[in-house]
Amino acid sequence: MKLSAFRIIAAATALAFAGSLSAAPEIGQPAPDFSVVDTAGEVHSLADFHGQTVVLEWTNHDCPFVVKHYQPGNMQNQQRMARDEHGAAWLTVISSRPGEQGHVSPEQADELTRSRNAYPTAVLLDESGDMGRAYDARVTPHMYIIDADGILRYMGGIDSNPSRHSADIPDATQYVVVALEEMAAGEPVSQPVTRPYGCTVKY
Amino acid sequence: MNTVIACLRLLSVTFVLFASLLEAATVEYGPVQRDHIEVELIAEHDSARPGEPLRVGLRLLPDPGWHTYWKNPGDSGLPTLLHWDLPDGMVAGKINWPYPERLPVAHMVNYGYEGEHLLPVTLDVPQELVPGTELELVVSAEWLVCEVVCIPGDATLGIKVPVSADPPAAVPTWSGLFAWADKRRPQAVEWPARFSTESGQLSARVRLDESVTSADWQFFTAAENLVDHPAEAFITQDNGWLQLAMPLSPFFVGAPERLELVLVDTSGGRAYSVLAEPGELGTMDDAVPTEPALLLILLMALVGGVLLNLMPCVFPVLSIKALSVVSGAGHERAHGLAYTAGVVASFALLAAILLGLRAGGEAIGWGFQLQSPWFVGILAYLLFALGLALSGVFEPGARLMGVGQQLTTAGGLRGSFFTGVLACVVASPCTAPLMGTALGVAVLLPWPQAMGVFLALGLGLALPMLVISFSPTLARLLPKPGPWMETFKQAMAFPLYLAVVWLLWVLARQTDANGVAAVLAGMVVLAFALWLTGRPDRNGWMAPVRHVAIVASLVFAVAALGAAVRMESETAAPVQAGWEPYTAERLAALRVDPDRAVLVNMTADWCVTCLVNERVALNTEAVRQAMADHDVVYLKGDWTRRDPKITEYLAEFGRNGVPLYVLYPHNGDEPRVLPQVLTPGLVVQAMERLQ
Repeated sequence: MKLSAFRIIAAATALAFAGSLSAAPEIGQPAPDFSVVDTAGEVHSLADFHGQTVVLEWTNHDCPFVVKHYQPGNMQNQQRMARDEHGAAWLTVISSRPGEQGHVSPEQADELTRSRNAYPTAVLLDESGDMGRAYDARVTPHMYIIDADGILRYMGGIDSNPSRHSADIPDATQYVVVALEEMAAGEPVSQPVTRPYGCTVKY
Repeated sequence: MNTVIACLRLLSVTFVLFASLLEAATVEYGPVQRDHIEVELIAEHDSARPGEPLRVGLRLLPDPGWHTYWKNPGDSGLPTLLHWDLPDGMVAGKINWPYPERLPVAHMVNYGYEGEHLLPVTLDVPQELVPGTELELVVSAEWLVCEVVCIPGDATLGIKVPVSADPPAAVPTWSGLFAWADKRRPQAVEWPARFSTESGQLSARVRLDESVTSADWQFFTAAENLVDHPAEAFITQDNGWLQLAMPLSPFFVGAPERLELVLVDTSGGRAYSVLAEPGELGTMDDAVPTEPALLLILLMALVGGVLLNLMPCVFPVLSIKALSVVSGAGHERAHGLAYTAGVVASFALLAAILLGLRAGGEAIGWGFQLQSPWFVGILAYLLFALGLALSGVFEPGARLMGVGQQLTTAGGLRGSFFTGVLACVVASPCTAPLMGTALGVAVLLPWPQAMGVFLALGLGLALPMLVISFSPTLARLLPKPGPWMETFKQAMAFPLYLAVVWLLWVLARQTDANGVAAVLAGMVVLAFALWLTGRPDRNGWMAPVRHVAIVASLVFAVAALGAAVRMESETAAPVQAGWEPYTAERLAALRVDPDRAVLVNMTADWCVTCLVNERVALNTEAVRQAMADHDVVYLKGDWTRRDPKITEYLAEFGRNGVPLYVLYPHNGDEPRVLPQVLTPGLVVQAMERLQ
């Protein structure tokens, strides 16, 4: 018995690793801090928003998946709902490296906000990509929700249908909308992690 | 929210209008140019034969440096989609996805295709088609073509294929492309495979077919959102088994019901598609783990339990118990059952504790209870006391021993039950060294089976007594009670004393010489107390004094043990062949040394997996040689006793248990954590990749 058992164990593979060493943020844990300048030159950090829900939106205006949600106004509607109905701060983050797709000057960013009738609290210009890497933001759009205590409550996609057609939006679950409503009702977020889909962030 | 819903409604109306416009898209024939890609609907043969399948495919030719995506696109991207518009009676199958390439983008990874590629689809051609007519096949294709930036594209593509009764001839232009797709098409095989998503990683185990001999493998998971695509995958082939592991995606939500693994044999140029079932990997053996395997394990546990009766710590107690059962008048069966219940209940309790701890994430193996010096010390006292009783130093009044006439009374049933409990307790130091590995397997099983193994072991331990109590014939075979029993009883004390010596040795490893001395003193005092219990009181005033002395002695014995437990032994770890004891300082010093890599092994004596790994992998000649070849310093941390420094180290890697194997490269780069189950090949391979 001993030998046979030995063999089974030796063959057994509970191949285990610690998670990847790059620390991805974790739901229920304090969200990574950041200190990033916005289009007006003002520096924002997570601590500035203590007591307020914060929504982070990674964006790249030329990414077809971002266009999918801006062109029909889905992203703008969610920005209005988050800020006006939930009192949240909405930070749009651009982590594109200078020279890469999606990288914009402060003026261009403001112009995009105007022309698209967007409604963010601020647009953060994360040229170094430090903030993006701290959140392990991989695609645009990539969404995060941080509660008033600085705890990460949601990370993942903008909605449940990873298609590139705006026509698919109405039938998809809008995860940020659902999460904000659950948080407002004092309930746990039912889907705190989802698959983000889109273009890779151009670090 | 209401505004959002209103807006969404408005949007959907717009989209319906928009979508109907799209449907009117014109069908394009032949190669079609779109942004950064050329696409075309092609057929493998120049005609379709009624009743025979027809292979067609979407040919994609992205610009150099651009790519499209596989069915699992990886960190970003979208798989190509096909919507067919076919003549009546024709049915299109799914895309037979060729296996993809790994395409790194910044610190992310996608799966897709560069260069000219084909997504083949098989169409069912109805029997009723009339030769001489023509089939018009139409597909609307949507793709995402990316370099660093991505451009979505779509096209409605058509092809006309004549229907002919003659055998179709291959279109020479496309034979190479269809051959490419066939070569990369994973062959669906039914190899036994399991996967698990425990402890932050996907791990899988696949039993390879005997005909497959490759040692170079690559794998892809069809499920999205499962693995962390940029992370390094572990793949090893060992004795006909393929073991895979990869950290889970940070966006992992839940495991699929069945997981499609695409295994690519890179040296043989073949690919296989395997469906893995979720489950415990440890239970997989040569065949698919089924009832027979479990039955065999249960049977072995039963036999092991029977053998336990012969162990030096069990036999003395039980043999005398057996004799007294048969000497008793009546109630034998009741006693046998009560005893069995005692044994089985105790094993069930131990198993429940063990499985509970395992469920709680503790990395423990059987014998975990011996990690506690308290348990070891109490057990040493208990066995010593039993030995003294057998030697005749005192007559135990306790029913626990059951060596006596109480058995004949109904109240003695409780005694029989507790004899069973006692049997389990005294058996436990013997099970640890002899059956540790076997029970280690049980610990890897799903809990119902694991519990079954423990119960079988308990039943085995109880079986001989049970059989004797139920079979008068067998009972008659036992020697009749008589004066010889006294001699036998006294002789049986000696194996018990030997068991005590073994326990003291264990204790010595957990404490030190002072601790052992304290416990030995405790044993002397215990012997004194037990001797006192049997002394007659000559004077009236003697009785209280004697009782006080007994209590004081017992208190002293326990206090001595308590003192021993507090005595931490200094790790006397002489530098043994090949390894040095772990200290944070030594590790820090080695990490800044560019000539040395470091392997850290966090282990414990009671961790069965750790010991197995050392025996089958780390202590092998191949691994020692690799360490020497690659200048790897081997540091070993011993967590046999809780050590806060090691606990801290484990926590750095998100662990709360052993084993943990960490390999630090020469250049001070980020360390790599090795799997919890090692093979020599895996360790050597990891070291080879250091430079």
